Amino acid sequence: MRRALIVDDAVTVRLYHRKILEEAGFQVEEAENGVEALEKALVTPYDLLLVDVNMPKMDGYTLLREVRSTPELEGVPAIMISTESEKHDREHAYRVGANLYLVKPVRPEAFRLLAALMARNGESR
Amino acid sequence: MGLVKADGKPAATSKPSPRKYTRDLTGLLAELNDQQPKARRWAARDLVAYGEEAVGALCERLRTEPEPSVREALFDALLAIGGDAVVEGLIPLLRGEDAGLRNGAVEVLGQLPEAVGPRMEVLLADPNPDVRLFGLDILRDLPHPEAPRWLMGVLEQDPHVNVVTVALDRLAEVGTPEMTPAVRAVKDRFPDEPFVAFAVDTALDRILGGE
Repeated sequence: MRRALIVDDAVTVRLYHRKILEEAGFQVEEAENGVEALEKALVTPYDLLLVDVNMPKMDGYTLLREVRSTPELEGVPAIMISTESEKHDREHAYRVGANLYLVKPVRPEAFRLLAALMARNGESR
Repeated sequence: MGLVKADGKPAATSKPSPRKYTRDLTGLLAELNDQQPKARRWAARDLVAYGEEAVGALCERLRTEPEPSVREALFDALLAIGGDAVVEGLIPLLRGEDAGLRNGAVEVLGQLPEAVGPRMEVLLADPNPDVRLFGLDILRDLPHPEAPRWLMGVLEQDPHVNVVTVALDRLAEVGTPEMTPAVRAVKDRFPDEPFVAFAVDTALDRILGGE
């Protein structure tokens, strides 16, 4: 079963994305901020990271920079998902290593499909 | 072997180097722009003693400071100073493109309830939905008795789906059962948005589950 890590400081957002990803067949874990996410990602091989931008302690951009500069994590697919829809937000996300940038709120059907397409196949590792 | 003076103490081989900056406000403000991060860090810490007089320079330095440890010292200094001038200096950072600066500002503002409280209604009515979201982020940590009333105002009036769902998330923490009719009514304002329906149901579970 593929594993996904949801990184967001809002409980409601984590629960919503968890529900959608579990319906898509993912085993889901959660982190409230970038620091907690990094600690979890270093010990658990995730097939997909779902990362918010604005979070306390470590924001999503910093988290992705850290992920992409860490050899064990650099290849993990990452979707950045934010309330911010400006062009510079999207560009910033791709510059720090996001594979896809989505604007909240996501539509469940499209999100399930995109997550499945983006994720690594957990069985191949 | 070093020279030994007649009194037995080692003699200085050279004069101590003069301080690069004076330890007064003028010197510390100059040191805040030193090339060495360590010097800027110390300047930020020492400027706390000058209170509001230093706030403008500390906020201005934040806008260009590239070093995370110096940024942290600048935010710590502003938090230690506190008060209206700090709040006025940090709120403009919420409109910037630097996520680290915005989040640092949110974290400091969330710890200054007395100075932030009178400005919260203005923040939550800002024309920019991102600024309203940062207002809600500040409320997450802000221990203020008016927080539930402010959140109810967002639920009833804000036109932006992301602002309303974050307000629902916050209200789930501080809301009380008599607020549940207003929470339920949010579904009628966004009838075609599945995330709103989910956020309302989750908030109701959390508020009523906490009875």
